[in-house]
Amino acid sequence: MDAANFPRQGGGDGGYYNYPVVRRPVWTWEVPAYFWLGGMAAGAYVTAALAQNFGSADDRRVAAGGYYVAAAALVPCAPLLIADLGRPDRFYHMLRIFKPLSPMNLGAWTLTALTPIAFARAASHAASTGLLRGPLGTLARLVPTRLAELAGVVLGLTLAGYSGVLLAATNIPLWAKSKLLGGLFMASGLASGSAAVTLQAAWRGAPDGSLHRLAMVESAASAGEMAILTGYLLQSGKTARPLTSGRLRAPFWLGAVGAGTLLPLLVHRMAGRRQGRPLRILSSAAALCTIAGSLALRWTIFEAGKVSSEDQAASFELSSE
Amino acid sequence: MIDGYKRLMNIEKPPTPKTAKGFFTDTSLCIGCKACEVACKQWNQLPADGFAMTGNSYDNTGTLGATTWRHVQFIEQAKANGQGQEQRWLMMSDVCKHCANAACLEACPTGALVRTEYGTVYVQQDICNGCGFCVPACPFGVIDRTPKHGHFEAGTAHKCTLCYDRLKDDMTPACAKSCPTASIQFGDVEELRTRARRRLGELQARGESKARLYGMPEGREAEEVGPLHAFFLLLDEPERYNLPAVPRLPRKTMAQRYGWSAAVGVGFALVGALVFGGRR
Repeated sequence: MDAANFPRQGGGDGGYYNYPVVRRPVWTWEVPAYFWLGGMAAGAYVTAALAQNFGSADDRRVAAGGYYVAAAALVPCAPLLIADLGRPDRFYHMLRIFKPLSPMNLGAWTLTALTPIAFARAASHAASTGLLRGPLGTLARLVPTRLAELAGVVLGLTLAGYSGVLLAATNIPLWAKSKLLGGLFMASGLASGSAAVTLQAAWRGAPDGSLHRLAMVESAASAGEMAILTGYLLQSGKTARPLTSGRLRAPFWLGAVGAGTLLPLLVHRMAGRRQGRPLRILSSAAALCTIAGSLALRWTIFEAGKVSSEDQAASFELSSE
Repeated sequence: MIDGYKRLMNIEKPPTPKTAKGFFTDTSLCIGCKACEVACKQWNQLPADGFAMTGNSYDNTGTLGATTWRHVQFIEQAKANGQGQEQRWLMMSDVCKHCANAACLEACPTGALVRTEYGTVYVQQDICNGCGFCVPACPFGVIDRTPKHGHFEAGTAHKCTLCYDRLKDDMTPACAKSCPTASIQFGDVEELRTRARRRLGELQARGESKARLYGMPEGREAEEVGPLHAFFLLLDEPERYNLPAVPRLPRKTMAQRYGWSAAVGVGFALVGALVFGGRR
């Protein structure tokens, strides 16, 4: 008798009943919220530093508000991360060892290093405009701005880039199948960060030239995000279904793709030849869309990952290529 | 200063390595008695998971989890033959594989997950802060976090310890001790592998052409996660037991993923410098 070749159970994907192969992630809303804010803070800091070092006097003045945005967006980051822990009282164990092999450890160190630098650079700017006076102002003037910008850019890019790699460094099919999730979150973070700089610049009545340049930088990030997202979806194939056709399809297509990349690209293009108030209104609208879309992207990919964790067939596909 | 930091953070010198210990689970001997599940729960004082009927054969456990470290699967198979239907019932006691390259251990940001002197993978409960990263990292869906506000070791990661406490006293892990058919065998990994190869030969000679070992150094499944310290003799394809053909180790593709991320970041910085620098 040949004991082999019993047909697959239930004729389905051939796994053990319909039990998932991997476990469902235990993380809650704090994680995508942190990824969104951290990416935006990093993007704003990098944009501000670029304008500071390569831009005109107007660009420098206008974009320096990005340091305030970065510092403000970083404030809730650590509390969000701590709140998501199973044992928040042991949050400092993250810094118990230095282990860059673990993206989670790398991220914790990066956030710890970037937060004081972003605050110092923001304080230094506040001191230079006379906003921060007294002994604190004197202290803030001592901050080596160039060094803070360089270190902040390196740390900022790490912060914006590691979050997607963290999700991808798992065995959740939707997160792990394509190699582009890190790049996607990086682009989304830079787009939302530069959008936040545009937004505050428009509100403060920035000159047209500076707004046009900021819009160009933001659009470049959005276009890059769209290109990488296309690659991500193509590489993921059927694995991306929880994102593209499940109950998250509306926030994904309308929020992350439509409002997050297409609409801002269109509106910035429309604003391209305008000046003054119409330009400021259009730029602000586009920037708000980019920022909201960035949150939609993190949230939908995060939630769809939980659905994907239950996809037995996708797990087998991931482990057989 | 470094010494003070190490004291504050509970960083100790690891013990001297000993002979690698592990499990050889021979599913051809399993009778589905679940003594391993019960012995594991008793020894490790793990709480019950409730009395839910799954409707999936005799399996009312479902999956491994934070408080279920042994799980007996019941696979019912049937095929038509000349006289009617031929049936067989595959049983398998699943457990943490204690991978040579463990995804959970590599993911752990606190160093709570360690490799013990016996070559096994162990969660230090006083270090784990419940970040949850090991949970989706494991390609086998083994490790899990207990509920944050539960009664049992709330909010930290849990999985099979290979009875680390018993090993320390030269005792056999509870599941292997309780197994009445020697389906679960405990011992030195090297010796278990020799035994497994011999047993596979016996079964193949009897016509079990689909019998195979899962987790041996020469297997495809060891490509990324390395040989498993808890390995199996299976009677059908790994997928039938919900085991991935080639379990993935996230580290293997991490550089490529960071590479794409860095490329986008550098590209953005260049565009930014050009746009701000190229002003009229």
